[in-house]
Amino acid sequence: MAMTTSQRARTSKTIQIVVFVGIIIALIAIIDWDKAAYAFFSFDKLGPMFPDMILVGLKNTIFYTIIAFAFGLALGLILALLKTASFAPYRWFATAFIEFFRGIPAILVLLAFGFGLPQAFGTTWPQPVNVMFALGLVSSAYIAETLRAGLQAVPKGQTEAARSLGMPAWRAMVTIVIPQAFKIVLPPMTNEIILLTKDTSLAFILGAAMAQYEMTKFGRDGISQLDAGLTPLVVAGLFYLVITIPLSLVARKFESRAAKTKR
Amino acid sequence: MSTDTNQISVNAAGVEITGLRKSYGSNEVLKGIDLKVKPGEVVCLIGPSGSGKSTLLRCVNLLEQPNGGTIMVGGFDATNVDVNLDQMRQKVGMVFQQFNLFPHLTVLENCTVAPIKVLKRKKLDAQKVAHSHLERVGLGDFGGRYPDQLSGGQQQRVAIARALSMEPTLMLFDEPTSALDPETVGEVLSIMKNLAQAGMTMLVVTHEMAFAKEVADRVVFMDGGVVVEEGIASEVIGNPQQPRTQDFLRRVLDPTHVDI
Repeated sequence: MAMTTSQRARTSKTIQIVVFVGIIIALIAIIDWDKAAYAFFSFDKLGPMFPDMILVGLKNTIFYTIIAFAFGLALGLILALLKTASFAPYRWFATAFIEFFRGIPAILVLLAFGFGLPQAFGTTWPQPVNVMFALGLVSSAYIAETLRAGLQAVPKGQTEAARSLGMPAWRAMVTIVIPQAFKIVLPPMTNEIILLTKDTSLAFILGAAMAQYEMTKFGRDGISQLDAGLTPLVVAGLFYLVITIPLSLVARKFESRAAKTKR
Repeated sequence: MSTDTNQISVNAAGVEITGLRKSYGSNEVLKGIDLKVKPGEVVCLIGPSGSGKSTLLRCVNLLEQPNGGTIMVGGFDATNVDVNLDQMRQKVGMVFQQFNLFPHLTVLENCTVAPIKVLKRKKLDAQKVAHSHLERVGLGDFGGRYPDQLSGGQQQRVAIARALSMEPTLMLFDEPTSALDPETVGEVLSIMKNLAQAGMTMLVVTHEMAFAKEVADRVVFMDGGVVVEEGIASEVIGNPQQPRTQDFLRRVLDPTHVDI
């Protein structure tokens, strides 16, 4: 018997619902819910984590992100300008730098800064400084590529108009091209901040004093010190979302505004 | 739109181009151009696309680097490697086919950014000058708008005001009406006409033959990278001597008449 298109669509939908419900039922049957609830949802036992989780952990995560991003942005802008420079060795240097730090895991850079720098140069500053340097360096490679795309997306006529008004090349860049490039790259740049926020979680491998803990460190300590299973990590994850979801919303707002007007 | 012709006095400079050559790779687009523009003179460059007229114009303020020859602009030897190009460009206004207004700045800021940053004018002084030029192009009330809120003709008028705000002694126009809707072409041409009457030295690449005939002192017809014919506007356009000029003008002035 031949089926019409709408009949076939209805049948396929029914099958999908049956499979979905089946999986849920199977999970409910297989999983030991008491154990799972203990592992993930023992929120009542988390008392000792607070208020330090917020006053220290959240604060430090945000602080490390901002400083690392500021450093990454400054270095990334320099790299982007080098990469678009007319002097070839500048371009080679920028390309090598960007490819290197984009190509290796952030954790390697972090270890190199945390344990290598003190060994090589006898630096004694606190580990969070190394964290911010290392993460800033890694993100500068990504930011440079984003900015380069933004700089090149500004029409050539803008530079020509600026130069024809007597602006030197650097002035045309600073006053005319870079402000427009930044508007173009706002959405992808917000993405970079989100990635950086999450990468600050790597800081715990270098160790630090209590006042320098960020959220993942609190979560990890919570696992060993509290009788709450993995719940401390669940909480840490939720707090990351508190930072990243608003950033995503901001990025989307920029995007829709950019779509509406070229300005 | 009412514009007072002699509202702003113009300190005009001349241009003297000798033996100008320009190549892109093996493609020679300017094959030794000689052109003299006297202070206060209006010269229109006409010719088919690809004839090199835009390249010639862009060589005058060194947006294109010539491969040979000399360009003297108001006493500056623009082709001398030691000359301060930025200083020379302050005196040479340019209007582009695509307007090239700065989209992140308001109309007023478009007209004040260079005077403030380059000429180190005080903000209020720059705004006063810019405003007078915006009024001159009939857009005195548009200072707070952004370029994307204006029509093409209005944008090009702002571009003219922006160039004038630097108080140039020479104005270059690179097909200023080619990107405009037909009904807004007139407003731009009439401003250019006023500027010409005020005594500005103008070098204009254009396809507007009526404008060239009426406003230009001289017309230069270019084809294939050389000057084919030049002379008094009404004579070159009304009674061309060279076959290539005759052919070009026939096509432009009477587009429906084509020999096939």
